[in-house]
Amino acid sequence: MGRTGGRSAAWTARAVGVLAAAALLTACGGGSDDETSGDGGSTTLSLWHYYGTPDTPTGAAFENLVDRYEEEHEGVTIEVRHIPFGDFTRTLLQSAAGGDLPDIALINGFTTQALADAGVIQDLSDRVEEWGEADRYFETGWETTQADGATYAIPHVADAYAVYYNETMLAEAGLQPPTTWAQMQEYATQLSDGERYGLAFSGIEGDEGATALVIRLLAAGGDPADVDTEAGATALGQFTDMIAGGAVSSGVLTWNEEDVKNQFANGQAAMMINSATYLSILAEENPELQWNVALLPSDVQAATFLSQENLAISTTTENADAAWDVIAWMQQPDVLAEYLPERNKLAARDDVDTGDDPVRAIFAEQLQQAWAPEGDLAAASSEVLTRIQGALQAAAGGGTSVPDALAEAQGQIDEALANVE
Amino acid sequence: MTTTVAPPGTASTTPARAPRRARRWGDHLFVLPAVLFVAATVLYPLVFNVDLSFRDVGVAQIVNGGGEWVGWENYADQLGRDEFWHALAISLLYTGLAVAVAFALGMALAVYFNQRFPGRNLMRSLLLLAWILPTVVSANVWRWMLDGSYGLINTLLESVGLIDGDLFWLARPVPALFAVVFATAWSFTPFIMILLLAGLQGIPDTLYEAAKIDGAGAWRRFTSVTMPLLKPVNLTALLLCFISTFKTFDTVFLMTRGGPGEATMILPIYAYNEAFEYFRFDTGAVATTLMLVVPLGLSVFYFRSLRREELS
Repeated sequence: MGRTGGRSAAWTARAVGVLAAAALLTACGGGSDDETSGDGGSTTLSLWHYYGTPDTPTGAAFENLVDRYEEEHEGVTIEVRHIPFGDFTRTLLQSAAGGDLPDIALINGFTTQALADAGVIQDLSDRVEEWGEADRYFETGWETTQADGATYAIPHVADAYAVYYNETMLAEAGLQPPTTWAQMQEYATQLSDGERYGLAFSGIEGDEGATALVIRLLAAGGDPADVDTEAGATALGQFTDMIAGGAVSSGVLTWNEEDVKNQFANGQAAMMINSATYLSILAEENPELQWNVALLPSDVQAATFLSQENLAISTTTENADAAWDVIAWMQQPDVLAEYLPERNKLAARDDVDTGDDPVRAIFAEQLQQAWAPEGDLAAASSEVLTRIQGALQAAAGGGTSVPDALAEAQGQIDEALANVE
Repeated sequence: MTTTVAPPGTASTTPARAPRRARRWGDHLFVLPAVLFVAATVLYPLVFNVDLSFRDVGVAQIVNGGGEWVGWENYADQLGRDEFWHALAISLLYTGLAVAVAFALGMALAVYFNQRFPGRNLMRSLLLLAWILPTVVSANVWRWMLDGSYGLINTLLESVGLIDGDLFWLARPVPALFAVVFATAWSFTPFIMILLLAGLQGIPDTLYEAAKIDGAGAWRRFTSVTMPLLKPVNLTALLLCFISTFKTFDTVFLMTRGGPGEATMILPIYAYNEAFEYFRFDTGAVATTLMLVVPLGLSVFYFRSLRREELS
């Protein structure tokens, strides 16, 4: 044992080498690359969003907005990163855990509360008070920026769902857009002929596919947290009937909103429930299609589903002032007036003049009746909405009876709400 | 005591060969990079995940750290949930069916390609495309082909009069399950074929000739010569395929996201939803930890039987 010195020295050297290499690797992995710096008047801010890459219409509109800010503000560079919607919140949370958040995040209105509770985005109450423009915003949309009595974000854009209809098809059938849901069912049945369907909406697996049923439920005077009710039975019963009767394709259970737009654009559906997002895309891609937009039908109450993005500042930013300047600038009425038509979205506030386009006016009117989850329901909205879609799926695609589907969804919703801390 | 550091001043007396024990230590040092790699990429996440499953971890805890130790509470919660058992049942059903279909197809193809005919190698390589094609491509192609309004499969079935009107395969529970089973089996078939083909080529022709002389027909030769001799290869193919199918996430996620309803809600998607859709990281960790049990058990069984084969 006492005669192994030469080798042992070599081993030690090797071991040290390996360990040093390992240490180097860990150092590289652990070191956070600081994206923000503020040296003498030049500031670099990072901003994450899910609107699309710069080569998509939605992504390009947002990049243009950012470019405009940079042009008007010398010395400020905004590094924009696009993360697909499905991965966005998860990526944000993982980055928060790793201490590598962007300065600004463009987030879904419905996840604002969860991100605030998680400590990912910072309390903006003082800045908002100083800003003094909070009362310009529509109440339902503003409510999504609140968590525990404080303001954690400011709205970016809003959107609402309305009915797109094929003017040619409705005119041929001698119909006007439906104003009640009974009419909707009647007309949709009349407009479908085996080749095409009367109405299309997204009912795809997950929370995205709950929108249309929530709209129907709200119209019946229902509450998405309480689906095992008379209103729930009316709503789900009617959707199931429309699908079983061929007025609505059972394909809705596999379509996302983009697929629905394509069905409508190809003349496969006479009407669709969709947001303003597709206004200019429809006009550009299908210039020969004759279509218009109408308010959603109503029964007990008139209501639509709010879709909104908020702008928030991360808790770890070192450039909170500069970040605030960016998000507040983006909310200036004259900036929005140029940006919103390009982005096909609506103002979340009431003092923006985006022209007198009649179609946009319908959406703006519809937005006044927008519903958004609040409180515990907001915190658990993704799961609750997924369960509501599950009820639609079970009743319309899986052969479960409407009462059974609602009862099961109710049990799951109650559990989801009970899980909210 | 296994120290290898020698007292100074004794180096000059180092013999040509180091003592056995010390030499072995040096050899072990070469494994260090591999050990570090495995520790960092496999062991650490595994331990982290198991630790997570014993804590109360929601969004706030994942971001800020912490998370109270709650013992077996999360496990009790998951084991008491119908959805968990449903997902486990669907997982086993999906895996079992997919492996059965893939094995039957793989075996048929292997026997076929074990014969000599022109263009055999080209055909074999072409079949491998299904295996090397990225799932994000193949799963989306399946989704399009199965669509009710513009899907190829519907058009085909309609043209031969098997169905009437649009059939949305992925919108109905039973067709959706069969669709994901078939798509998975399709991608695993070439893998099984290659394994079995290697096994088939190890069977001497003389055995078949002898069987022929004894009057055995093609089916009899298959059941009495091929199958018994392929047993170890079959076992390997079945187990490897079962383990990788059981943890498949991408194919099903891309085709149905676990839907319609919960008809294709396999455990990996269930766990993903728990953690990344509903932000219940703790119960998500429980689901993934429990998910390990099935492949782990099978792996142990696999290595045991491998060793037994080697011994015999």
